[in-house]
Amino acid sequence: MMLIHCPYCGERRPEIEFAYAGEAHVARPVDPSAYTDEEWERFLFIRANPRGRHNERWRHIHGCGRFFNAVRDTVTDKFETTYKAGEPRK
Amino acid sequence: MSDLLLRNEPDCAGFAGEGAGVAIRLAEPMARYSLRARDAQVLEDLIGLAVPRAIGATLGDMACLGPDGWLLCASVGTVLPSGSDLPVAITDVSERAVRLLVEGPRAGEVLMAGCPIDLDRFAVGRATRTVFETVEIVVWRLRDDAFAVEVWRSFAPWLRLALVHAAG
Ligand SMILES: [Zn+2]
Repeated sequence: MMLIHCPYCGERRPEIEFAYAGEAHVARPVDPSAYTDEEWERFLFIRANPRGRHNERWRHIHGCGRFFNAVRDTVTDKFETTYKAGEPRK
Repeated sequence: MSDLLLRNEPDCAGFAGEGAGVAIRLAEPMARYSLRARDAQVLEDLIGLAVPRAIGATLGDMACLGPDGWLLCASVGTVLPSGSDLPVAITDVSERAVRLLVEGPRAGEVLMAGCPIDLDRFAVGRATRTVFETVEIVVWRLRDDAFAVEVWRSFAPWLRLALVHAAG
């Protein structure tokens, strides 16, 4: 079983304790009522979907409960690093 | 609040199970509180109990499960203030879970039949949320040869059966 490092628990934990939560660093609209349909489409549906290095959100749902960010390679499934929510992109 | 509700305790008889070197039984009913706060000090000042700061640590009846979340498992009748004007969330969850006690020299081994954590290296006094197969549990190591397993009550009969099978 793959182990994932939780930056809040400070240790590597079994992957089945975690849930994937999509691409990281997708900024929410500052003024939602001013958003056009195209801007809403981009915010809600358009993702980078890279082959390789991907910044993504994970949640330690069956552990400490926190969301955090990770850099994972979408080809090899290898985690490069994980970091706390709110920290700059790595 | 919960004294207005009808308590519906699971049937303790028939819940015990045994294998060589391990015994599984249902613990007595407890008062359980979920406590959330960004600042542990605010919580501590409000409830008058020491709050463990490190995730996984326990202090008395309280376990720190996350960076802003704690679980208190105390004797029935324990009542905490609600902290209604403070940035905390204190919720009575007494009826949400039941506690299975897994005791004996093979307790860790039997739990590891479905729990992916290395319980051989899980110190006495440590507690964490994790899973048994796909069922969420809280594991709390009470002694070298005794674990408390908090599980949502509807999963408890299945978990008990799985543990008894692992023990047999
Ligand atoms: Zn965690």
